[in-house]
Amino acid sequence: MKRRELTPAEQIVEHADASLLEIIDHVLNKGVMIRGEVMLGVAGVDLVYLRLEALLCASDKLLSKGEE
Amino acid sequence: MIALYAIALGAPDGLAGARGEPLRRLPWGAMTLLAGDAPLPLSAETLRAHEAAVRRIAEQSEACLPARFGAAAESDDALVKAMRAREGELLDALRLVRGREQMTLRIHGSPVPAAAGAGGTGYLEQRRREQRLPALDPLRAALDGTVRAERIEPHTEAGLLASVYHLIDRGAAPRYAQIVRETPLGDLRAVVTGPWPAWSFAPEVARS
Repeated sequence: MKRRELTPAEQIVEHADASLLEIIDHVLNKGVMIRGEVMLGVAGVDLVYLRLEALLCASDKLLSKGEE
Repeated sequence: MIALYAIALGAPDGLAGARGEPLRRLPWGAMTLLAGDAPLPLSAETLRAHEAAVRRIAEQSEACLPARFGAAAESDDALVKAMRAREGELLDALRLVRGREQMTLRIHGSPVPAAAGAGGTGYLEQRRREQRLPALDPLRAALDGTVRAERIEPHTEAGLLASVYHLIDRGAAPRYAQIVRETPLGDLRAVVTGPWPAWSFAPEVARS
């Protein structure tokens, strides 16, 4: 069976390195928002939010392993 | 459709957005709104490009409140209108971040188990104390005089206790990082990144 293509949000979650995870937390989770306006291009961003803590945690474990 | 990149004090001409497009400076009282072309679709590259554009603004302005990726409005007028209700709050935040930048700490370790028998108000007070992470007090003491403001975001993922965001004076990042490296935190492990624009010190929502 042909695998479906990953959405942009899924691609980010699957392939993010430590530096991108830091950028995601700051750029998608923080900063001034405009309520009531269109958040263009941010479809699927909930998936990134949901996985962010786990990814940040995992990136530290990978980092620790590399330092041993 | 236009994208908002930042709200700034003392922003110069000639700044560029995520596509490299010239940013427009929209004067608004003492502040300037920096707006560019419509937001780019979500991808790793566009997130990096947005961060880089905000970083350029922060480095060249007196004070900068970053706008979240995707913050957009139909027109310049709609953008200013969306901001109007929060003018005082935004000005206060700009004064706080003026001449400063942000450091981010990820605090890893095991959570301290809640004491048995604490109920009601006592439990809530205990939770409040725990979320402030008193185990970081030695670091807070070592950073006294370096850190100008602190925000803490508790996490629920096992092993990742919290993210701590510190506002420091521009240029103080090397000293800050050295203090973090040299301060023992017992069973906790602090991973530091920065300096960043002051993402975690911007009021989150401007109501339209």
